[in-house]
Amino acid sequence: MSTLDYRKVSRASRWLDVRRRKLGMWAYALNRITGIGLVVYLYLHLVVLSLLLRGQAAWDFFVTVARSPYVLALDVILLAGILIHGLNGLRIAMTGFGIGVGAQKALFVVVMVVSAVTLWVATIKIFRI
Amino acid sequence: MNMVKVPLQIFRYKPGQAPRYDTFMVEIPDTSHVIDAIDTVWAIHDRSLAFRRACHHSSCGSCAIRINGVEKLPCVTRVTDVWGGHDPLRLEPLRNFPVVSDLVVDVTGLFQRMSAADMSMICEAEAFLPFTVDTFAVAGLDPKLVELPENFSRFSRFEKCIECGICVSACPTMAADEKFLGPAGLAAIHQARKKSNDPVKVEHLLGLADGEHGVWRCHSAFECTEACPQAVDPAGKIMALRRELIARRFSKMMGK
Amino acid sequence: MQNNGRLAGLLSVCDESAKKEDQNIPPHVLIIGAGSTGSATAHDLALRGLRVTVLERGEVAFGTTGRNHCLLHSGGRYCVTDQESAIECIEENMILRKIMPDLLELNDGLFVAITEADLAFKDRFLQGCAACHIPAREISVKRALAIEPFLNPKTLAAVQVPDGVFEPFRFCLAFLATAQENGTIVRTYTEVTDLLCVGRNVAGVRIRDLHTGRQEDLQADLVVNAAGPWAGEIAAKAEIVVPEVPTAGVMVALDCRLNNLVLNRLNKPSDGDIIVPQRATSVIGTTSWAVENPALITIPPEHVDRMITQGQQLIPAVKKVPMRAKMAVARPLIAKSGVDARKLSRTFECFDHERDGMNGFVTITGGKTTTARAMAEKVSDMVCRKLDISAECRTRDTLLASYRLFFQRTHSRTPSSVADAGHRSYRRSIFNEHG
Repeated sequence: MSTLDYRKVSRASRWLDVRRRKLGMWAYALNRITGIGLVVYLYLHLVVLSLLLRGQAAWDFFVTVARSPYVLALDVILLAGILIHGLNGLRIAMTGFGIGVGAQKALFVVVMVVSAVTLWVATIKIFRI
Repeated sequence: MNMVKVPLQIFRYKPGQAPRYDTFMVEIPDTSHVIDAIDTVWAIHDRSLAFRRACHHSSCGSCAIRINGVEKLPCVTRVTDVWGGHDPLRLEPLRNFPVVSDLVVDVTGLFQRMSAADMSMICEAEAFLPFTVDTFAVAGLDPKLVELPENFSRFSRFEKCIECGICVSACPTMAADEKFLGPAGLAAIHQARKKSNDPVKVEHLLGLADGEHGVWRCHSAFECTEACPQAVDPAGKIMALRRELIARRFSKMMGK
Repeated sequence: MQNNGRLAGLLSVCDESAKKEDQNIPPHVLIIGAGSTGSATAHDLALRGLRVTVLERGEVAFGTTGRNHCLLHSGGRYCVTDQESAIECIEENMILRKIMPDLLELNDGLFVAITEADLAFKDRFLQGCAACHIPAREISVKRALAIEPFLNPKTLAAVQVPDGVFEPFRFCLAFLATAQENGTIVRTYTEVTDLLCVGRNVAGVRIRDLHTGRQEDLQADLVVNAAGPWAGEIAAKAEIVVPEVPTAGVMVALDCRLNNLVLNRLNKPSDGDIIVPQRATSVIGTTSWAVENPALITIPPEHVDRMITQGQQLIPAVKKVPMRAKMAVARPLIAKSGVDARKLSRTFECFDHERDGMNGFVTITGGKTTTARAMAEKVSDMVCRKLDISAECRTRDTLLASYRLFFQRTHSRTPSSVADAGHRSYRRSIFNEHG
C-alpha cells in the first residue's frame, strides 16, 4: 500500500500538555516522562558501576554519598518512576492486546494506587537505613 | 429569553499574516449553542471569519473545533456548559490538520484515510430502540424491541462516525506520525471489515491495519475514545483489530 | 453592479472568451451557491460537457440545505394540498434511491392519525397518494405500534409510505464530487461581491476569497443564481427583483433516536408534525415565519417549546429525552402576493432574467432538497437553451461518486502558506506548501 499523501505540520511534543485531557492521556504522558527518566538513570547507573573499575576507595566513597538523604530521595523518585512505568506498562500491554480496553481508566487508577502504596512502604524502609 | 454577553476569543489566521486571537463580545440567548455564537460573530461583527458548519445537529461533522483547548462539536455544546461567565471562551481550530484560515482546517487527509477504509455510511440498525450515543439520554426509557415491516429484512441507519476529525486532533500519535492512519481511519477499517464478506477486501483491510502506519502505531492514549462525540470508541476498535491480527498470526504459526 | 470601472478588463476577457468559442471550448457557467440546488446543477451541467465553477461563501451546505430536516419526501405530506409538489417528490425520491444508494436511510415512513380529525383526513390522504402515484399502504395500529414501540399508543390509524432520510452535507458533497470528476471547479469560502455587467449582459462576477482577502474577477458565459434565501440579494446586484420570501423554521434534535421510520401527522401540514430519525437522533420539525435577515436568525424559545409539545403527540417519550441541538434556517419560498407563509407552495421556479432585460443570468430558487436534481435538470435545460447547446440531461441514471472524493478533488484549499495552529506555548512556523 503506497503511503497516503497527508500535508500536515506536526508538533510531536504536543502530548506534554495534559490539561483538560482525560486519564488515558495522563497515563501516556507519565509513561513517556518516566521512560525518559529511566533511560537517563540507566546511563547514570552504568557510569556509577564503572566506579568499580577504579578500586575499593572509589567505590567506598560512592557508597558514602549514596547513603546521604538527598540521594535517598532521588532513589524514591527513581522507584516511583519504575513502579509507574512498569505497572502502567503492564496495563498498556494488556489493553494493547485487546484485553480490558473498556476498563483502561480504572486500570490506570489501580496502577497509580498500587504505585503510591508501594512507594509509601518503600520510602519508609529506605529512610530507616 | 435571557440574553448574555459572551466574550469569544477566536484564533485568527489568514495566509501571509501572523496568527492572532481576536476577541468579540456577542450578545446571545443564554440557551445558545457555541455554533450560534460563532454565527453571530460572522453575521454581525466580522464577515471575514472563516468557519465550517452545515447541519447544526452533530450529523455532518463539519463544525469540529477546539473550545478552551478541548475538541468538541460547537453545534451540540451549549455556551453555558463551557463558559463560566468571566474568562473569554477560547475557540481554536483542530490540531493535526493544516490550518487554511481562522477555524477552517484542511480535512483532505482525513477523507483520504476514510476512502482507503471504504466504509459504507450505511449499516444495519439495532434490533431495539432507543438508539443513542449519549448514555445519559436514555435514563428512564427501557429499551424496546422493534418488529420489521413486511418486505424489510432490516432497518438501516447511518454509521455513528460523522468524520469530524476530533479523534485525529486529540491523538498524540497523529501529531508525531504524518502517515498514521489514525483513530478515524482505523475505526473505519474495523467497521468495513466487520461488514464485509469478501475475502479479498478483508485481506486488504487487515493489511492496511497491520501495515507500517496501522494499529501498531497506537500508543494507548485512549484520548480518541474520550473525545469522540459519537461514542465510536476508536481505541476499542483499534484493539479489536489487534486481537484479530494476532489471532491470525497465531493460526498461521500453528499451520492453519 | 459594476458597469464602467472594470469594463476594459472585462472586455478583454470577453474577447478571450470569444476566441475560445472558435476553438470549441465549452462555455463557462458560474453557479452561485453550493447548497443542494447549486451542487445538483453543477453535476448536471458538468455531465452535459460545460465548464462549471461553483462559488460558495462558506463550507458546502453552509446555508439552507445544511440545516434542513433531512427528510427524503415520499410526497405524502403534499398529496392533498399541493399535488404538484407531491408528484415531484415521489419521482425524485425514486431517482435518488438509484443514484445515491449509500447515502440514504430507507426505512419508510408512517402517517399517523392521533385525533378523530386526523382519522377523518385518512381517506383524502389515501386518495391523494393514489392520485400522485405514491405507494401508500394502510397498516393496522397494532402492527404500527410493534414496528414503532415509542409511537403514541392512542394512535387511531397508520399509513406506510416510502419516506427516507438523507444527510444534507454529504448529499451535496456527492453531487459536487461527481461534478469535479467531470471538470467542475468548486471554490468554497469565495463570496460573490458583485455581478459584472457589460451592457445588459451579465459577463461575470467579482469575488472575494475569504481566506486570502483577495478580490478577483471571473468571466462567465452565464451565471446561475442558486443562493437560496440570498438569491434576492445576489439578483439585486444587477438591479433585478427575485420574488422570494425567506421563511425560517426551527427544528429540535433529541439526544436519542426514538423511531426508525419517519413519523408524520396524518393531516394537512402544520407545525411540528414530523419526527425524522437520523443516525442517533430524532429531529422534530418544523415551524414557519418570514425573516428579514436570513444570515442571523434568533431561535424563538416558543418555537422550541412547540416542537417538544407537538412531538409528544406522535411520541410521548419525547418529554423524557434531553435536547441535543436546535437549528433554524430560512427556506427560499417563492412569494405569491397575499399568501400566508405556511401555504406558499414548496415547488420551485427558474427565472430567466432576460425577461427582466438582463441576459446571461438565471435564478433557480424555491423547492426542497428532495427535488434538487429535478430543479437542476430544469435550470440546466434553460442554461443549455440560452447557450445554444444541445445536450440531454443524464442525471436520472448516473450513479454519484463517493462524497469523500470531494475534499481530495478540491483545488488546494491550503493557499500559499500554512500556519500550524499548535498550542499557544509553542512557536508557530509558517511553511510554503504547494498542493
